[in-house]
Amino acid sequence: MVSRILWGDIINILECKNMNLVKNNQHILHHISFSVERGDRIGIIGPSGSGKSSLFRLLNLLISPTDGQILYHNKNIQEYAPTELRRSIGYILQKPYLFGTMVEENLLYPYQLLGKKPDYNELGSYLDKVQLPKNIIEKKNTALSGGEQQRVALIRSLLMKPQIILLDEVTAALDETNTLLLEKLIIDEQTLHQATLLFITHNLEQAKRLAQKIMYLEAGHITFLGSVATFFGEKGEQYE
Amino acid sequence: MSNLSLALTCSLILIPLVLSYKEKLGLEKDMLISSVRAVIQLTIIGFILKFVFNLDNVLFTTIILLLMVYNASTVTAKRGDGIENALWIGFISILSGLIVTLGGLIAFEAITYQPSQVIPVSGMVVGNSMVATSLLFKSLLHNFQTKQEEIEVKLCLGATPKEASRNLLRDSIKTAMLPTFDSMKTLGIVQLPGMMTGLILAGVAPDSAIKYQIMVAFMLAGAVSISSFVASYWAYQRFFNKLSQLKEL
Repeated sequence: MVSRILWGDIINILECKNMNLVKNNQHILHHISFSVERGDRIGIIGPSGSGKSSLFRLLNLLISPTDGQILYHNKNIQEYAPTELRRSIGYILQKPYLFGTMVEENLLYPYQLLGKKPDYNELGSYLDKVQLPKNIIEKKNTALSGGEQQRVALIRSLLMKPQIILLDEVTAALDETNTLLLEKLIIDEQTLHQATLLFITHNLEQAKRLAQKIMYLEAGHITFLGSVATFFGEKGEQYE
Repeated sequence: MSNLSLALTCSLILIPLVLSYKEKLGLEKDMLISSVRAVIQLTIIGFILKFVFNLDNVLFTTIILLLMVYNASTVTAKRGDGIENALWIGFISILSGLIVTLGGLIAFEAITYQPSQVIPVSGMVVGNSMVATSLLFKSLLHNFQTKQEEIEVKLCLGATPKEASRNLLRDSIKTAMLPTFDSMKTLGIVQLPGMMTGLILAGVAPDSAIKYQIMVAFMLAGAVSISSFVASYWAYQRFFNKLSQLKEL
């Protein structure tokens, strides 16, 4: 099981090697190479259509690269059992999708997948952190606002305790209060579980708040990968 | 029924022909072709069945049953266009329903393995399983096209393809099985089904005819359920590749 892999001396938890993605004759990602260290917080920014979401879909094994490879703990992700890999590399989509009818179905789903009894104390603690009432689990999905749905979707993914968290503009549709709440939960979780965080954002202030490194994607190419200070100090104006 | 009576009965097709012509429905050609085909096909099958019944050979009867299943699966495969190996899945699913129900009927001594009994009964089983499997394929294709987001969200969480598809499969199986169970609810109230009608017309007392009809109702429910389950739990895997990724439809 991926989750039982010992960390040992491995520094790079994730590595992309000369990865290309071509879909319907369109070259979406070009020669993508980068590595991620355990505990990194990388903000991925770039114009719409630059391949950011496709990159996350590749890392979560929802799609495969045309060529090149992705290594997780120095092993090609295609060599892992897909379910185990996806439990270790959690991907939270921009649009919160709550399945079924009730919120409960969504929040208990991770326990079901893990074959565990629901831990209502743990669930309650997550709900408290994002200021959602405990009785929200008795509500219908349709009774929730967009912000509430996004918070439920995030808790649903975090309950799987991923080692790498991929967030695809999860706060894009939220107001500032909700955005800050979610950011706090994400950072707390990342610190608590020594997880690695990659997040896509168009919000440069958010990138400054959360990221240690910035990856800038443009037309499928990585045109910058380095520290936040370098990005905003030297390149920020250019990219803004 | 005399041949003259039959010929006069056929003249009833003139009613829809005239209506179609007057209302400019443009269905006259289809109606004529369908009518001629029905007469020719039924006449041929009448002679074939007479020959097979007289032959009373187990191997030959079995070949006829397999041909029926194969023909049914070609129809379901058309509904499942887009599902890899739909023909093979349809064939095995319908055959499974047939083997279990026919086996049951023979084991319970409701019928014997004689062409005159096995072929008509199998016709009903295969026909109903064919409709159920076709509905199942259509529903699966629709659900996998419209509910990709739900599947992907579940895959992202680490669900297996089966876990991610469970709701869709339940929905598709229900779609496939409901017509059979709905029709069971109305048996004797809204409709006097084919077998019972045939027996009554042939002079069998209604209280005896219902026994056969009850047998047929449960036999069809069993066959349709088996075919739907086998087809759904086999077919859903075709929507994923070996890396548990959704294939493009």
